[in-house]
Amino acid sequence: MKSYLTLNGQILYWTLLAPFRGQPFKIGEVFRQMVAIGVRALPMAALTSFSIGLTMAMQGAGALRKMGGLSYVPDLVTLSLLRELGPLIVAVIVIGRSGSAVTAELGTMKVSEEIEALEVMAINPIRFLVVPRFLAMMIMLPVLTVFGDWMGMVGGWSVCHFALDFETAAYIHRSVTRAETWDLLSGLIKSVVFAWLIITIACHKGLAVEGGAEGVGQATTDSVVWSLLIMLIANAILTGFFFFS
Amino acid sequence: MSAPAENIPVIEVTDLVREFHGRRVLNGISFKVMKGDTMIIMGGSGCGKSTLLRHVIGSMKPTSGSIKLFGEEITGLDEAGLARIRRRFGMLFQSGALLQSMTVGENVALPIVEHSKLDPGIVDLMVKLKLEMVGLTGFEHLKPAEISGGMKKRVGLARALALDPELLFSDEPTAGLDPIMVSVVDILTKDMTRKLGVTAVVVTHDMTSAFRIGSRMIMLGTGPNQGKIIATGTPEEIRASANGEVQQFINGEPDGPVPLKLSKDDYVTRLLGHPRLKNNAFT
Repeated sequence: MKSYLTLNGQILYWTLLAPFRGQPFKIGEVFRQMVAIGVRALPMAALTSFSIGLTMAMQGAGALRKMGGLSYVPDLVTLSLLRELGPLIVAVIVIGRSGSAVTAELGTMKVSEEIEALEVMAINPIRFLVVPRFLAMMIMLPVLTVFGDWMGMVGGWSVCHFALDFETAAYIHRSVTRAETWDLLSGLIKSVVFAWLIITIACHKGLAVEGGAEGVGQATTDSVVWSLLIMLIANAILTGFFFFS
Repeated sequence: MSAPAENIPVIEVTDLVREFHGRRVLNGISFKVMKGDTMIIMGGSGCGKSTLLRHVIGSMKPTSGSIKLFGEEITGLDEAGLARIRRRFGMLFQSGALLQSMTVGENVALPIVEHSKLDPGIVDLMVKLKLEMVGLTGFEHLKPAEISGGMKKRVGLARALALDPELLFSDEPTAGLDPIMVSVVDILTKDMTRKLGVTAVVVTHDMTSAFRIGSRMIMLGTGPNQGKIIATGTPEEIRASANGEVQQFINGEPDGPVPLKLSKDDYVTRLLGHPRLKNNAFT
């Protein structure tokens, strides 16, 4: 726990302070990591969000039809996506795909002496390896979340349009008038918090690897399990804070 | 008045002790390395020579004792201070420790790019020079995964020499190289120390190479002498050493003071957990 907090402090120092003391991180590496962590996760995030929007519209239609409230399906889909499911689903995908990859990569570098070699060359591994991954995650997870929200709404629309005879314009109109800026914003705040948790846990587990291939495997599992757990708890706390107090 | 710069040891280790979970891996090590020396650290497997090296480069902190590099105590240094010292030396790791995500050229360029503000064209030229030195011209664009173990080690050496360090550490520089490459690496080390005045510390158990390049040697003991220096001196003094363990090691004999097999009684005791009883049914 102490080493996790230390890592957080070091990340903040090397991201915010060190660049002004003549020790900048590599901008190019940030973009490279944005592609690895974010862009490559796009197809999967899109597909999952789409299918969640689709499923929710179908389930919502079934329940709302009995109450004669079929026209509320877009409201249901949009609000639950923006506030909860969008950030959550995208975070789950990114944990499974990018968080695990970061842990495995850093862990392998640890066991093959690469991190020690960096230190001996007087190159700080936090600045060189962790900060680009941290920034890439902090930028890409919210971006993916917006995209996931959008894909989910497309999923909801496709059910409404093709099965429930909604006009496209009516679907969009209902979604947009019902949702407020805060709904989108709360989801984005969540995704920023998730991004922080996912990348710091992934880097911490990766840098703490001991003992060869087995250690890398164990750390990768730990990283995914802990990220999911902490992310879900954080989600509950944030929902309580934003909408229940 | 301080001593003239020439007489300050580049490395000075005093009473170095390191314990892991109560086991003493290094037990009161003291030695000095003077400028221009090639110090060979040798000893059998598990004698703590790699651990000793890791303490000297600042990767590990000793339980007690003092380590001075370039006259400065490094055991209490913070990260920035250690980084300042580390810019003055190069280190060749046993595995090469190249960054797998970068090409060979980028690996060699890494310390230059990180610690200087040179024009990319000049960096390129320096990389080509260093790679040529280790006989790997034209390998810049390959990834470490695409070259052999021996080549990785040579790239590691080129990277260690990238900033023309005053001091070079090598962990098993010749293990896994063919005999021709061994002499290339030896000649390279020798040229640097004799012609450029670079100081080298080489951990090795390759005796041919050790006697070819070493100007001073220390040997760490195993067993009851674990973590202690059992012999120190010039190659000639080591060769003439009366210590049986040293002679066994440099001549590569299977049996001697370091036993090949345990005695029959010891063997039985280890196997059964107690000495064999005289009036036992099995005797």
